[in-house]
Amino acid sequence: MKKRFAVVLPLLIVWTLVMGTQVIFAAEAVKIGVIYPLTGGAAAEGRELRAGAELAAEIANKSIPEIKMDMARRVGVASLGGAKIELIFKDHEGNPTLGADLAKKLIQDDKVIGIMGCYHSAVTKTVSAVCEEMGVPMINDSSTSPALTTRGFKWFWRTTPHDITFTRDLFDFLKGITEGKAMGIPAVPKAQIKTLAAACEKTEWGSQVSETIAVLSKENGFDLKKSLLYAAKSPDLSSEVRSLKSAKPDIMLFASYASDAILMMKTLKAEKAHPKMIWGQDAGFEAPEFRSTLGDDVVGILTRTVFAPQIGQIKDVSGQVNFLYKKNMGRDLSGASARAFTGVQTWVEVLEKAGSTAPAAIQKAANTITIPGEQLIVPWKGIRFAASGGDQGQNELGSGMIGQYQKNKEGEIVLEIVYPFDVATAKLIYPLKGF
Amino acid sequence: METLKNALDFSDFPRLDLTLAASVAVFLLVFPFFSHSSFAMSTLIQFLIFSLYGMGWNTIGGYGGQVDLGKAQYLGIGAYTTSVMLLRWDTPFWISMPIGILFSVTWSFIIGYPLFKLKGHYFAIATIATSLVLKDLFEVWELVGGSRGIEILAGKYQTPDFVHLIFKGDDYYYYVILIFFFIGILFMNAFRKSRLGFQLRSIKDNEDIARSLGINVHWAKIKTYAVATAFVSAVGSFHACYVKNIEPEDTMSLDISILIALMAMLGGAGSLWGPIIGAAVLVPLKSYLKEWLGAQAGMVGIDLIIYGAIIMIISAAEPRGIWGMVEKARRRKRN
Repeated sequence: MKKRFAVVLPLLIVWTLVMGTQVIFAAEAVKIGVIYPLTGGAAAEGRELRAGAELAAEIANKSIPEIKMDMARRVGVASLGGAKIELIFKDHEGNPTLGADLAKKLIQDDKVIGIMGCYHSAVTKTVSAVCEEMGVPMINDSSTSPALTTRGFKWFWRTTPHDITFTRDLFDFLKGITEGKAMGIPAVPKAQIKTLAAACEKTEWGSQVSETIAVLSKENGFDLKKSLLYAAKSPDLSSEVRSLKSAKPDIMLFASYASDAILMMKTLKAEKAHPKMIWGQDAGFEAPEFRSTLGDDVVGILTRTVFAPQIGQIKDVSGQVNFLYKKNMGRDLSGASARAFTGVQTWVEVLEKAGSTAPAAIQKAANTITIPGEQLIVPWKGIRFAASGGDQGQNELGSGMIGQYQKNKEGEIVLEIVYPFDVATAKLIYPLKGF
Repeated sequence: METLKNALDFSDFPRLDLTLAASVAVFLLVFPFFSHSSFAMSTLIQFLIFSLYGMGWNTIGGYGGQVDLGKAQYLGIGAYTTSVMLLRWDTPFWISMPIGILFSVTWSFIIGYPLFKLKGHYFAIATIATSLVLKDLFEVWELVGGSRGIEILAGKYQTPDFVHLIFKGDDYYYYVILIFFFIGILFMNAFRKSRLGFQLRSIKDNEDIARSLGINVHWAKIKTYAVATAFVSAVGSFHACYVKNIEPEDTMSLDISILIALMAMLGGAGSLWGPIIGAAVLVPLKSYLKEWLGAQAGMVGIDLIIYGAIIMIISAAEPRGIWGMVEKARRRKRN
C-alpha cells in the first residue's frame, strides 16, 4: 500500500504542477459579442459579415507570418499573455429591440468585454445605447448612418466611413465624369447626367442616405427629381419603380438591402426602365446573391464599396487575406466581409494597446490608437478615431470607392474599381446598356 | 363597487386553475430575488408585455370574435406620445401614458365607426390597412422623427427615475410591467363578467339574435375596440421607456400586429388565461430556440423552422388553442 502511495504521490504532484501552471499561464480567451443579421432580409450580408469576422479571429489566434499584418504575426493578444479572441455571434434579424436585448445578454450573461456589429444602423443605434448605459465598449464595423457618431457617446467607435463620405464620393465621381476623368470615356456633358431619382429603404440607414443625397445633389448642382422611401420587406416594388420611372431621371440612386435590391432591379427590368446609370449605396448591391441572382443584368451597375478583389493587385495584405477567404468560402471578400474583418482587427489592436480588458483601458486605447493603412485590407489611410467633436468615435482616415459590375475576359462578372479615378482598374461602362 | 367585486372574484374557476395561477403569480413576484440571467429577465418582460397586448386583443378578438390585425398602430400611438412628450416637455410617464391612451381611444373611435360596418375577413383586412396607413404617416411626420424615429438617451436622467420611468437595470421595468400585468388580469376578470362582456359573447355567437335582444351591436363593438386599444396603448408607452428607441418600422409593423393576434389565438381566444398561456409558450419558445439553436450553435434558421412547426401543430390539433385543448381534456374526463 505504502509502495503504491509512494509511486502515486509524486505523479500526483507532477500532474498538479503541470495543470496548475497551465491554469496560471493559459490566458483566458477574450470574448467579444458580435451581433449581425443572420436571418431575415439581410441574411446574405449577415453571412458575409460573419465569415469576415471569423477569418480575422482565426488569423489573430494563430501565427501566419506570411501575411503582412501585425495581427497575423502574433498569437492571440500578446499584451494579454497571448489571450485568444473568442467571438460570440448573435442574430438580431434586423430588429432593433431584439438587438438591444441581445446586447444585454452578451454583456451580463456571456460576460463579453465588448460588442461589435450590427450592420443595420437602426440596430446599431439601440445596441450602442445599451453599451453606453452599461459602460461597455462597442466598435462598429459596418453601419454607415452618420447620426450614429453625432450623439457624443463615449463607448462607441466606428471604423467604416459613413454615408456622407460615400455620397460625397458619388458626386465627386459624377463631377469627374463631366470633367473627362473617368477611364475609357470622353467627358460627358453635365446636362446628360443632371437629373437624379433616389429610392431608399426607410429605416435609420436609408432615411439618412436619402437626406444626404438631397443635400449633396443641391450643393453640387444636380436636379433630384424624385426621392422616395420604401419598406425593405415589401413584396412588391412596382409602384415605387413606376414613380421613379415617371421622373425620367438620368441616374437612379438606391440604398437597399439584398432582397429589396434584387427585387428593385427585377422590377426595373420588368418596367423597362432605362436610366443612364444605376448606383447603389453598397449593402444589397454588394451581396453575393445580388450578382448570382441577377446574372448579366448587373453589368454596368455601380455600387459604392470599401473593397474589391482587385485591391490585391496593389496591396499585398489584401490579396493574401482575400486568398484565405476565397479558400474558405469559395468567393472573394466583399465590402461587408472586408469591413467585418477590419472590425475584428481593430478590436485586436485596441486590446493589444490597452493591455487589459478593463473598459476604461479599452476606452483609452481606442481614443488614442492609430492603425496604419498598410496593416489594413481595405484601402484606407488607416484607423484613428475622433476623440471629441461632432463626429466623436468616427474613424477619420477611412475612404470609399465606387465599383462597377463588369465582365472580365473569362466571362465572369467582377466588381471593377472605377473611382477613385487614379486607382481605377477598368474602363467605365457608360451609359448603362439596359436590361 | 360591483366591478371591483367582479375583478377580485375568481370563484368560477376550478381550484386547480387557481392554484396554478397563484403559483405562477408567486413565481413572478419572487423571480428577481433569485439568481437569474439577464436573458431570462428580458424574456419574462417580453412575456408580460405580450400577455398584456394579448389581453387587449382578447376583448375584441376573443370575446367579440372580431379578428383585429392592426393593434400595432395603438402600440405606436402610446409609444410615440410618451417619447415625444418626454423629449420635448420632459413630461412624466404617468401623465403621458394616460394622454397616449386618450389619443389612441379617440383614434379608435374615429376609425372604429366605419370599420365595424364591415364583417369577417373584410374587417380584418381593414384593420391591417388602417394600421399600415398610420405607420406610413408616422414615417413622414417630422415631429415624431420620421422613419428614423425617436431615441431616448438614458444618460440624461438620474436613474432610477420613477417619474419618467427611466431605469438602468431591467429589474425595475420588470416590477412595473408586472403590476400592469396583475391589473390587466383583474380588469379582464371584471370585463368578462360585465354587461359589455356578455353582450360581446352574444354578438360573437349570432349578431342578428343579439340585435333582436336589444343590443346595440355596432356601439358595443366600438366600445370594446376602445378598451382593447387602451390596453395596447398603455403598454406601448411602457415599451417606449423600456426600449428607448421608437421607430415606425420596428414599433408599428404588421409583424407585431400579427404576433399579438397569434399569441392570443394560440393560447385560446375568448378565455381569461388564453393570451397569457399563448405568450408564455411563444415568447420563451422563440427566445430559447434562437439561443440554443441559433447563431452561436451554427444552425441559423433551424430555430425558426421548429418555432413555425410547433405553431402549426398546435393550430392543427386544436383550432381553439392551448386553452381549448385543456377544456377538451376536462370534458373528456367528466364524460
